[in-house]
Amino acid sequence: MPTSKQLLKDVARCWNHPITVLGAVAVALVIGTSGGPIAESLRPIGDLYIALLQMCVLPFLLATIPLAVRAAMRGPTNVEIIRSLVVWIVCAIVVIGMIGVLVPAIVFHLAPFEPGTIKAVGALVGGSVGSVDLEFNLDSSGPAPADASNGLVPLVPSNIFSALSTDDTMRVLVFAAIFGIAMAVSERRTGRSFFGALESLHDACLLIFQWLNLLVPVGIIALIAPQIAPLGPQVYVMLAHFSYVFFGLSAAILIVSILILGVALRLNLPLTFARFSRPLMVAAATRNTLACIPIAMETMTRELHASQETCELYLPVAFATLRFGTMLHFAVATMFIGALLGRSFGLGDLLMVAVLSVAGSFATLGISGAAALAPLAGVLRPFGLPYELAFPLLVIVDPLVHMVRIMLNVTVNCIVPALAAGKQHTKITQLAAKE
Amino acid sequence: MRIAITHFDIPPFHMRRSDGTFIGKDIEFAQKLGDALNVKINFVDSPPSFDAVVPAIAENRADIGLSKLSQTYERLAYVHFSAPYVTLRHALLYNRATISRLSNRRSPEGALRDFRGNIGVIGASAYVDFAQANYPKANVVQFPTWEATIEALKSGKIDIVYRDEFEIRSALIHDPAIHIEFGAAVIADRRSFLTMAICDSCLKLEEFINYFIAQHAGFYSLDDLLTISYGD
Repeated sequence: MPTSKQLLKDVARCWNHPITVLGAVAVALVIGTSGGPIAESLRPIGDLYIALLQMCVLPFLLATIPLAVRAAMRGPTNVEIIRSLVVWIVCAIVVIGMIGVLVPAIVFHLAPFEPGTIKAVGALVGGSVGSVDLEFNLDSSGPAPADASNGLVPLVPSNIFSALSTDDTMRVLVFAAIFGIAMAVSERRTGRSFFGALESLHDACLLIFQWLNLLVPVGIIALIAPQIAPLGPQVYVMLAHFSYVFFGLSAAILIVSILILGVALRLNLPLTFARFSRPLMVAAATRNTLACIPIAMETMTRELHASQETCELYLPVAFATLRFGTMLHFAVATMFIGALLGRSFGLGDLLMVAVLSVAGSFATLGISGAAALAPLAGVLRPFGLPYELAFPLLVIVDPLVHMVRIMLNVTVNCIVPALAAGKQHTKITQLAAKE
Repeated sequence: MRIAITHFDIPPFHMRRSDGTFIGKDIEFAQKLGDALNVKINFVDSPPSFDAVVPAIAENRADIGLSKLSQTYERLAYVHFSAPYVTLRHALLYNRATISRLSNRRSPEGALRDFRGNIGVIGASAYVDFAQANYPKANVVQFPTWEATIEALKSGKIDIVYRDEFEIRSALIHDPAIHIEFGAAVIADRRSFLTMAICDSCLKLEEFINYFIAQHAGFYSLDDLLTISYGD
């Protein structure tokens, strides 16, 4: 006879099984596309789920970053891991940047826009046919727009409590990293620290995340259905060139990334796909990379058996800073707008688009939603491409694109520690085997 | 009563049918005016431009001009103008790439406000005066027709087309594809008053027309003008 504790574990395992998660996605898609009022009524449940997930993100970062910094400062092995992580990050950025410009360049060259598509997209720009883009007065210039802040100053939290209360993740990360270094140095000198307390905080946050993982299927249904509901398929047909390229490329990158993950961690590929589906679906549902840190961490370390030390060192910082989905989005969007306006790109231009897209993705840090499209202006303008045209077009398809961006952020970031820690993992296993 | 209209069509204000008769919003308005005055209306369509409608009245070749005429200081020197029967805001169709480049991280409104490049207008129209007054640092380029002005924008000879909100929005409705490359902006604090030009000595007629316009205040509306369609 199974005990009640065992029974609960079995129920939890079944509830979090990949098939249950995929089933939840299917239910969400059905509810979302049916167009009924149910989708909208699920929104508060989805908001509650996101709030619960975000509740522990900042305490988790405050505990994890100093612990990861201490681990990184411990010995030569960690220096090797950090070096390896940096190499794989650079590789991932280069690959995403180059794919992001080369594939659209080829596709848009081989399949140019038809006049009907251009007319439909033109009508879509202003929201309705014949509408104007803007109104202004000749006589009053209004207040001058504030220049974007430059340099590193905005990253430094002059008041950490203010940064915490305003959910300013980047500044919290900077503080946590500096604080972690200081505490590790202080520990070496005096032998005293409260890393033990931070470990308790870290474990408590993980425990809360485990409890919240029980709500994943409900959260997926409640979050995805309202996002799907307001969009009609005709929008994607009108923006077919952009949609095909972006979603097709994203799907390919996601599949290849999970394959790499399986190979790097020497796992059965169907099993890797099944286990990684959970963080992937949470990413799509929450549209928030930081909210995916706990489930990605759990999946990577406990289910896919990636190096825990490397994941704890890398994932929280990377999820907050490296937006691979945005890099791809900006590159494809720039190529799309260029093709729409008949602009041709030389090899140097393509390289520049890739570099600017990567730089633009960093400019989106701390911004979410449609506002994160603003730095795209910096990618478009050097090529004389109007952001005023790009924004209304891209914002129409952004609900789905946003989901995919976050899925890319999570997946590509997860393969980096898997690739970087492969050798270390093998060494430890070999040592363990010898012992 | 002789009513002067331009020789070229200005849809939907007035268009010439294949049988030589006229149709359009201005034509209907003129017929109503004729009914109110109990006079027969004859259309004089010899003026080759908007500006040419004014001397036609001043030189007694017609009694009134009803041809989407805007009131300007220069025209006021020759004829009287009725009260406006419709007011349209000024508008621009601009090359998005050029304005995006000129705006240089500022809002496009700023670049449009301080524009110093080539602005296209229909020659011998009120918009020559409006462009010169509102964009003194720009180069105002005149074209014989509206179609030629739009073509010049498409070919890159000019970066902005200047006319009223109705014509700019009409251009987008008839060819939505141009909305990709060209944006549309309304200048909210500049208005064009469409009025009837009346001979200098016809004070009683002017009084009558003003009363008639007041009685038919809802005859023209922007939405109506944008959606109305006249078959040939």
